[in-house]
Amino acid sequence: MVNLAQAWAEAYAGVEPGVRVEVSGGGSGVGVAALIRGSADLANSSRDLKASEAEAALKATGKEPREYVVGYDALAIYVHRDNPLESITLEQLRELFAVDGRISRWSELGVRLPNPRHDRIVRVGRQSSGGTFEFLRHRVLEDRDFRLGTLELNGSKEVVELIANTPTAIGYSGMGYAVAGVKLLRVAERVGDEAVAPSPEATISGRYPIARSLLVYGLGEPRPEVKAYLAWILSDAGQGWLTVTGFVPVPPERRQPGGRLVEVSR
Amino acid sequence: MKIQADVGNPFRETPAGAHQRRFETGIRRALAMLTVLLILPLVAILGHLLIEAWPALRWSLLWESPRNGMKDGGLWPALVGTLYLVGLSLAAATPVGVAAAVYLHEYARDSWLNRVIQMAVINLAGVPSIVHALFGLGAFVYAARLGYSVLAASLTLAVMTLPVIITSTREALAAVPMSFREACWNVGATRWQTLRAVVLPNALPGILTGVILQVSRAAGETAPILFTGAVFYKSVQSGDIFAYRLDEQCMALAMHLYTLATQVPGVRPALPAATAITLLGVVVFVNAAAILVRTRTRSHRRW
Repeated sequence: MVNLAQAWAEAYAGVEPGVRVEVSGGGSGVGVAALIRGSADLANSSRDLKASEAEAALKATGKEPREYVVGYDALAIYVHRDNPLESITLEQLRELFAVDGRISRWSELGVRLPNPRHDRIVRVGRQSSGGTFEFLRHRVLEDRDFRLGTLELNGSKEVVELIANTPTAIGYSGMGYAVAGVKLLRVAERVGDEAVAPSPEATISGRYPIARSLLVYGLGEPRPEVKAYLAWILSDAGQGWLTVTGFVPVPPERRQPGGRLVEVSR
Repeated sequence: MKIQADVGNPFRETPAGAHQRRFETGIRRALAMLTVLLILPLVAILGHLLIEAWPALRWSLLWESPRNGMKDGGLWPALVGTLYLVGLSLAAATPVGVAAAVYLHEYARDSWLNRVIQMAVINLAGVPSIVHALFGLGAFVYAARLGYSVLAASLTLAVMTLPVIITSTREALAAVPMSFREACWNVGATRWQTLRAVVLPNALPGILTGVILQVSRAAGETAPILFTGAVFYKSVQSGDIFAYRLDEQCMALAMHLYTLATQVPGVRPALPAATAITLLGVVVFVNAAAILVRTRTRSHRRW
């Protein structure tokens, strides 16, 4: 999501030359932590704010966090281009990635490899500060931990590039990071359901099972500059950048420039 | 009694001597070969980088801002950020470092406390940069309330470069012959007068060398600035010298290199390589300028 933030910052310099936007990366957790410390005006996050984070933010700054939905992303399951596998179910993904999962060989997914030595599946994912990590953990693993031996990389781009260079790898990353050497699997909720390929339409309609909202968090009522920036993000000009960076824009009727207050339990 | 007439040419090499000579030659050649091998990595790195970077290398890289999701355009914000960081950190570290070294070498007696301080300086030079980064985060970003900023990052780099500046300044001072000082004292000059008129001018080239060495270190370090003030991206006008305020965060070449190589999808491989070349270029340029200053000051020396 850092690339989306970067694209916005770059484009916004042409809209409002007086306002200069700084972008830091590192994952959703890093952004939320910076918001809590007060060192950032806005935190982009590809996962929901945790209750503990909302509390910490309120305690540290005295302001209630506010959530803005700025786009959608389909979390794609990537394999190497030459892999014959076409679709996967959430059940299989859980067995693959969860700590008590039972799938660790391609033959167990019905893929036959000419050399049985390559049968072991190389699992690739994000480091734990990434929102992608948290989202998959919650949505697919049902809050179970990731299995040991999963390669946890620092960026979505690295995940996809590793898979493009490793025929026996499987991993997850945003749909927009696809490169030439990889294939995006169709995903089904459970066996027997229709497997859906990740696409903007399937993401908005909710038919693709592992889609998520891209969120921006602020604290309290935003400053005028920040408010103008948020309004621009949710305008057609700002939303156009989601398509460019491989994400899914919010349909006009669903846009809420005012955001939504996050409930903080006290 | 028979006199052995033919002892042969006494200057002729004995078999043992010939063996020794061949052995010596062998050793010399082997050592020379290893020395040549030392150059190989340098040549390989530079060659590889140049070939990789060739399609992207052009002068406008230096003053253009990145465009199109940092996949096109230049490196200006990162370049100017690095210059800010290096300049500020050396501006902060040099006076303190030189003053500390002057005190330690010219004034302080050889006491228990001084030896502890010297030990500390030497050990500080060996502290990994990531530890300095953590220190900078705690000390400058939080405790001093500078926040994530150019200033906090520069001060962190300054602390990191300080020990080497102190050590090299001490060595430069030690290289000024004692007799110079004694001659000066004997005409009635005070310690400070001696220092200002005789010792410091003569030690200047050595001090400069120490500072120069730190330019490349400060420009290349990523960990300390990552923790204290470097950002992924900041929109900056092409060629804007006053791109950052001291309380803002900035981009930097070393960080930008990492970002391009690992975080941005669809970057041509030439761009990170060109960034690396630019980083090397900055270091070489600053070093060359400083070496020029050093040789000029040294040529005025009369001993």
